[in-house]
Amino acid sequence: VKPDAPSIRRFADIAAKVRAGSPLDLDDGVFLYRYPDLLAVGHLANEVREAKHGDHTYFNINFHINPTNVCVADCKFCSFARLEEGMPAAYTMSLDDVRQKLLDREGQPVTEIHIVSGLHGDLPFAYYLDTLRVLKEVRPDIHLKAYTAVEIQYFADKFELSYEQVLQQLKDAGLDSMPGGGAEIFAPRVRQKICRDKATADQWLDIHRTAHRLGLRTNCTMLFGTVETLEERVDHMLRLRDLQDETGGFQTFIPLAFHPEGNTLAKLPAPTGVDSLRTYAVARLMLNNIEHIKAYWIMIGLDTAQIAQNFGVDDLDGTVQEEKIYHMAGAETPQAMTRPQLIRLIREAGRVAVERDTLYNVRWIDDGEPLPGIRVDASVPYSSHAGRVSLSVTQ
Amino acid sequence: MTGETGETPRDPNAPIRVAAVSFLNAHPLTAYLPGPDAALGPRFEVHPALPSDCAQGLADGRYDLALVPVAAYLDHPQWQVVPEIGIACRGPVDTVLLISQVPVDDIERVHLDAASRTSVLLLRTLLAARGVHPEFVTAPHGTGRDRVTARDAALVIGDAAFGLRDEFPVVLDLGAEWLSQTGLPMVFAFWAARPGVLTEAHIAALQAARDRGMDKSEVLARAYREQRIADGHPVLAESDYANYLRQRIRYRLDGFDREGLVEFLSRVRPDDADDPAHVNFLSREHEGVAHARHRRTQPMDATELLARAAAGGRLDLAEGIFLYETADMFALGQAADARRAALHPEGVVSYIIDRNVNYTNVCTARCKFCNFYTPPTGRNKYVLSREQLAEKFAETEALGGVQILLQGGLNPELHIGWYEDFFRWAKREFPRLQMHALSPTEIIHIAHLEGLSIRDVLVRLRAAGLDSLPGGGAEMLHDEIRNRISPFKNTTDEWLEVMRQAHQIGMLSTCTMVFGFQETAEHTLVHLDRLRRVQDEALALPDGGGKFTAFIVWPFQADGTRLKLRDDTSPWRYLRLQALARLYLDNIDNIQVSWPTLGPEIGEVALRFGANDFGSVMIEENVVSQAGAHFMLDAERIEHHVRQAGFAPRRRRQDYTLIAP
Repeated sequence: VKPDAPSIRRFADIAAKVRAGSPLDLDDGVFLYRYPDLLAVGHLANEVREAKHGDHTYFNINFHINPTNVCVADCKFCSFARLEEGMPAAYTMSLDDVRQKLLDREGQPVTEIHIVSGLHGDLPFAYYLDTLRVLKEVRPDIHLKAYTAVEIQYFADKFELSYEQVLQQLKDAGLDSMPGGGAEIFAPRVRQKICRDKATADQWLDIHRTAHRLGLRTNCTMLFGTVETLEERVDHMLRLRDLQDETGGFQTFIPLAFHPEGNTLAKLPAPTGVDSLRTYAVARLMLNNIEHIKAYWIMIGLDTAQIAQNFGVDDLDGTVQEEKIYHMAGAETPQAMTRPQLIRLIREAGRVAVERDTLYNVRWIDDGEPLPGIRVDASVPYSSHAGRVSLSVTQ
Repeated sequence: MTGETGETPRDPNAPIRVAAVSFLNAHPLTAYLPGPDAALGPRFEVHPALPSDCAQGLADGRYDLALVPVAAYLDHPQWQVVPEIGIACRGPVDTVLLISQVPVDDIERVHLDAASRTSVLLLRTLLAARGVHPEFVTAPHGTGRDRVTARDAALVIGDAAFGLRDEFPVVLDLGAEWLSQTGLPMVFAFWAARPGVLTEAHIAALQAARDRGMDKSEVLARAYREQRIADGHPVLAESDYANYLRQRIRYRLDGFDREGLVEFLSRVRPDDADDPAHVNFLSREHEGVAHARHRRTQPMDATELLARAAAGGRLDLAEGIFLYETADMFALGQAADARRAALHPEGVVSYIIDRNVNYTNVCTARCKFCNFYTPPTGRNKYVLSREQLAEKFAETEALGGVQILLQGGLNPELHIGWYEDFFRWAKREFPRLQMHALSPTEIIHIAHLEGLSIRDVLVRLRAAGLDSLPGGGAEMLHDEIRNRISPFKNTTDEWLEVMRQAHQIGMLSTCTMVFGFQETAEHTLVHLDRLRRVQDEALALPDGGGKFTAFIVWPFQADGTRLKLRDDTSPWRYLRLQALARLYLDNIDNIQVSWPTLGPEIGEVALRFGANDFGSVMIEENVVSQAGAHFMLDAERIEHHVRQAGFAPRRRRQDYTLIAP
């Protein structure tokens, strides 16, 4: 269980590389995954995180729209999709439904809508363009982060357009940036097993390359905890790092822990705290050219998300409302958090909450004021090196 | 009512202005108080008053401290109450009597003679329980006995009641009646003070005066009798008065008296009150705190302290507080991990298969943080039957379980015989199940209920089949916090004493902490320090002594409880606290993670913050789940999480020995 002397030396070498700003290689990444002293790896990732972002932990105020869950792909890890209209729990929103989702939030300080759908067999391309247009009509200043590379690939195939044509038309209709979903694990062995209908690794990367060239910023993800090896995880990170070296268009890397309920991979064990924390830490150390590492609290839970802020994570996603994809896979987290709840979570971990927009422009920095609706809160300013142990009372 | 808020300026050097009744039963509390002319220490100036005037004078600022009837406290929750002193009884009190010519059920009117609100409320609630609802009318003091005619009865309290017992055909002693209805003592009066007036020195002086007064029962009885003769009043024998002081009245309030107190306050207060009854007891400073505060003024080096603690060196109180407040999370975690590795070098994380059984939900303590209990008058109360217990135990064995964690409320209907029968039955029917049962709070309750010593209760239950004691009911072992959240439950000293006694007779026990009650670092470290001292004592016992096997800490689960405070109960704080506990509790072998409250993912991480045990599969857990924790795991999942953290999982027994795989 304890690291032996050669391992400790190897770890020190890696730490020296990290501190010198040199990129780590595949072996380094796998070594960090296997290194017994979890806290040492976390500590090193925290150094990088604090060097980049200090005590700031970013969040934004967003909500999700999943316009349809009808999907021709048959991904083994998915509990959300239904193959055809008319199947139990299958749904497709009309454009009026989509518009209403935003109208329902009139007056709320939402800055971003995250839109991800199934690969619907019958909807015309206009539906996807109009989805963006109706939302922009209601609120022209809202940021639309929409359609994963898998959807872009599907549109290109189905409507016989190039990636560039698809992305340019969506951009003209209001697309502001792309989420990072659908990457799963790039290794063909894994894709063949868990998502063989989906865009290949090369297609996924090419679509993001194209988006970056068109001036769209994007995120990137990794689905971990299915059947992949540690080598395949690190390889995945390295392929993202290579594209980032080329384009610089990725903003944030988001590791996604696999949830095993309601899908055909339900035999696999549920995500674990240590694996999640280690993945964040290794990602922070491997992806030296990607600015942000995000913990998607919807998926790993609030508790692990809080601790993750010391294992390389500097972003906790948004307040998120009406998340469906993970909840249909058994995630037991609340479907939404209020802004004060999210700020409290960040404060308790000794960090300073920063509200951002999608492109990481700072909108607000926590001033330590008492939080409405939270009777007692961590309103005392403190650094990450201090453990706050007593709290003031706000009536 | 300007004095109501306690803001009347007061010269801190002036004597404390005290109001106390002149009844004989108050003499032991007042006779030996240092007077206004005392040369050293606190000084008191005692003014005699009727019970109701004691409360009124305290409320309107004429007095600083008064011996008040407990019901007066309902209107003055800002008063501070002196701990461990009162006027109480357990059974007949002799001087709070309902006298009548006709049976109680036939009484139509009650004349109240000098009666305090407490005694009237007590009478009303006792009669209501018997379905009797007479009219109450006030009578001038001393005239009550003369008004007892036909269906008119009288409530007589104080010295006027002496001797009446033999003069009327029907006499209801309210102390005896309360005991028979509730099984609990009755507290009539306690010392209450305006906020901020009393210091620890005053509390110590009041307690010392009480101790002296209790020693001098005969002297006080003789003086009282002589005064009555001089005033031309009829008297009883001197021994009657002395017995009254020595045997009838209880002046030293313990946990059982506090149970009686809260039962009374809960029954007589208005029905629309939202919060549970509360009494604001003052608390004493813990040993070593003054020194620790002084030490904290000098600089300390966290790195040096952590290195020392990781190597097994001892941290003192000041150092513990310093680390809790300032140490870096990773540094604390790594030191705790190193210490854990030194104590448990095999890389094994143990867990147990057991079942948490809550045998009754009836509880007199009414802790504000508890969602589980039902008061003795509650509708949803239960005591598990043998059949229900047998089913749970059999299921536990079928799942490979080796232990029952049995805990319940403080149920005044369950006597020691019930527990003895239960343990004997359990051992006979389920000889392979270890009985990890009854927290100190329950042991104290049983001791009081039976009038037995803690030691005798433990010896008898152990003989019947009790194997080890769980560390429940500790919450925060600091009376300042306990007085805030569970003023009627056992004190820190009482809790620790049970563990001390258990260890002395060779029993193993565990110890716990619940955080998130707005305690400070000092409160937290005092808790750890007191556990460490008790463990030092245990380890110094001759062979065959018991000890704490493990420490478990978890965050307070506030959902739906009536405790209004909210504090940081985050996993972040939990990990810090657990790591610090691993370092500070250098004499306790095992630290158990508490995944039921935080989830198995944090449980895994906690194994890297000092813990070496994954607790239990938790087949059933009522108390915490009613306040918002809902994690359930089977053995396979536990082993998965343990492996994820890099350890080999092994099943263990109650004494932490490993079971061969």
